[in-house]
Amino acid sequence: MNTNNIIEIQNVTKRFPVGETEFTALSDINLKIKKGEFTGLIGPSGSGKTTLLNLIGALDIPSEGEILISGKNVAVKSDAESALLRNEHIGFIFQSYNLLPVYSIFENVEFPLLLQKKSKAERKHAVMQALDWVGLSDIANKKPSQISGGQAQRVAIARSIVKKPDIVLADEPTANLDSTNAYKIMDILKKLNEELGITFMFSSHDSKVIEYLRRVITLEDGKVKNDETK
Amino acid sequence: MFEFLFKGLIRDKSRSLLPVIVVSLGVSLSVFFVGYIEGMMGDMVDQNARFGTGHMKVMTREYVKNIAQKPLDLSILETGEVIQDLEKRYPEADWVKRFNFGGILDVPDENGQTKTQGIAGGMAFDMTEGNSDLKRLNIANNIVEGRMPNGPFEILLGQGLAKRMNVKIGDQITYFGSTMDGSMSFQNFTYVGAVQFGLSVMDDKTFLIDIKDAEQILDMEDAVQEIYGYLPNDIYDDQAIEEIKNSYNQSFANDDDEYAPQMLALRDQNGLSTMLDMVNTMSSAFTFFFIIAMSIVLWNTGLLGGLRRYTEFGIRIAIGESKRDIYKSLLLESVIVGAIGSVFGTILGLLLTLYLQEVGIDMSETLGNSNVLFSNVIRAKVVPTQFWIGFFPGVMATFLGALLSGRGIFKRQTSELFNELGV
Repeated sequence: MNTNNIIEIQNVTKRFPVGETEFTALSDINLKIKKGEFTGLIGPSGSGKTTLLNLIGALDIPSEGEILISGKNVAVKSDAESALLRNEHIGFIFQSYNLLPVYSIFENVEFPLLLQKKSKAERKHAVMQALDWVGLSDIANKKPSQISGGQAQRVAIARSIVKKPDIVLADEPTANLDSTNAYKIMDILKKLNEELGITFMFSSHDSKVIEYLRRVITLEDGKVKNDETK
Repeated sequence: MFEFLFKGLIRDKSRSLLPVIVVSLGVSLSVFFVGYIEGMMGDMVDQNARFGTGHMKVMTREYVKNIAQKPLDLSILETGEVIQDLEKRYPEADWVKRFNFGGILDVPDENGQTKTQGIAGGMAFDMTEGNSDLKRLNIANNIVEGRMPNGPFEILLGQGLAKRMNVKIGDQITYFGSTMDGSMSFQNFTYVGAVQFGLSVMDDKTFLIDIKDAEQILDMEDAVQEIYGYLPNDIYDDQAIEEIKNSYNQSFANDDDEYAPQMLALRDQNGLSTMLDMVNTMSSAFTFFFIIAMSIVLWNTGLLGGLRRYTEFGIRIAIGESKRDIYKSLLLESVIVGAIGSVFGTILGLLLTLYLQEVGIDMSETLGNSNVLFSNVIRAKVVPTQFWIGFFPGVMATFLGALLSGRGIFKRQTSELFNELGV
C-alpha cells in the first residue's frame, strides 16, 4: 500500500438483504484517497454515497473487498476496535448537526475528548482552540437551542476536529443551510483542510460544496462513474 | 465520563424527572398495596383476637364441642388453679377471664312497665383499673356517652343497642337470663354509658359488665367459660401460638375427663383458619400480580426511554463510543433512575400507609349488617416488607426495560442504527 493513501477501497461490494433477495448498493468499488485530500462523493439518491461513507467510517462492513484506513483493514475490526478507530482517526459532520441538546456548546465539543480520557486541562485547551477555529469561542456556554443553524453546524465541525482526526466525513453538511452559511461552512472546512492537513470526504448534491472540492467522485447505481481531480 | 453522563441525565427531564415520577408512582402503589393488605389482615386478626378468640383460648373439652352455643354449664371450674397453671407454664403470655353470655335486657318506664326490651349478648371482663384487658379492649377511649362502670352492677351498652333501647344515663336496665345451673337470673343494672366498638355486629347487640358482676348473676364464682391468652404486646404469632397450644393440649392427652381443659388457637375458631389461609393466599397472589403488573408498566417506561434515545446513541457511536459502553451507560442510568424512583416511591408509599394506619377509611355504612368481627375503619399497616418490596418493580423492571431496549443497539448493524435514526 502507498503510505500516502489514507483511505484505500479495494474491490468493495456492499449488498443489503431485501426480503429474500439482495440489493447491491455498491459494486466493485476501487478508490484511493491521499492524505489531505478535499474530496466529494456526488450522485443521485440511491447511488451509494452514504453507504460508502458508512463503510469508510467503520459504521458498516463491506460484503466483499477491503477498506484500509491508514493501512488497516476496518472490515475485520471488532465493534470496540471500530469505535476506537472512529474516536481517534475519524470525525463526522451531519446534515442535521446532531448536537446533544442537553449539553452546552463547550460540552458537545468536549465529548470526543472524554472518550479519549484526556485531562480536564487538555480538554479545555482543545475545545477552546476548536471553537476558535470555527469562530465560536464566545458562545461556549450556550445551549444548542440558543444558537442558529449555521452556528450549530460550526459547533458540529468543532466537535469533529477537536480530537484532530486524520479524516472528516461530512454527509450533506450544507443541506440545511442558506447560501451565506453554506459558503461560510465550506470556507472553514477548506481552511481546516489546508492548515491542519485533515482529509475531508463529502457526500453532497450541493453545487456550493462541489465548487470547493478538489476531487469529485461521481457514483451511479453503486459504481464509480467518474473520478475527476480539478 | 460518568460525570458527563450524569449531568445529561439530570438536565434531561424526560430522561430523569419523568421516569423517576413514573417509577415513584408505581413503587408507591406497590408499597402501599402491601401495607393495605397487611393492615386489613392484621386488623381482622386483631379484632378477632381482642373480642372473640384471644390469640389462644382455654375451655373445657365439652365446651369446645358446643362452642357456638357458649354453654355456661360446661364452663371451667376452679378457674384460679387453671390460670395459675397457665401462668406458670407460659409466663410470657397474659391470661384473662372472659364471659360471653346472652339474655334479655328490659328498660322499665316510670311505672315499672316495660318501655323497651331486647335480646342482647353480654360480655364481661375485669374492669379493675390497670387491668390488661381494660387496656386491650380500649373501651374507655371509645365511650361516646357517659363513663366506664366504677361500681357494682353498672352497665355499658353498644351505641346501636343503647339507641334501640332508648336509654338515658342513669336509667335502670333489668337483665333476665339464666345461671350456670340453669336457674333464672334477674339483676338490675344502672346504665352508665354507650360504647362505640367500631364493629357493627357488637355496636348493635352487645352490653358490657364487670366480671365480678357476671360471676354473681351467673352464679359462677371461681368458674369461667373461657380463658383468653395473649402473646406479649398483643402481637400475633401463628407459630408461637401453635406451639403453646400443642404443648398445653399434649399435657392433657391422657386425661379422660370431659371437662379437662383444652386450648384452641385463634385460627381454630370462627372459621378463621380457612379465612386466614384464603386471605393469605389471595393477598399473596394479588401482591404478586400487582408487583408483576407494575413491573410491566415500569419495564415499558425503561423500554421507551431507551428507544427514544436511539438518535443520541447514533451520535455517540459516530463520535467513537463503543456499543458496549453505550449499553452499559444505558443500564447504569436505568439503575440510577430506578433506585431514585424506588426510594421516593417507597417513602411515598410508606407515608400513604402511615396515613391510612393512623386515620383509616370509615366503612361503617358498608359493613352495617356484617356479622364478622371486622373493623368499621379499614387501616393499612406499615410492615418491614414495604421497605424493600418496591425495589423489585422499581429497579429490576426499569433495568429490564433498559436491558431489552438496549439490545436493539446490538441487534442492528451500526450503519442501520445510524441511518434509521436520521443521524
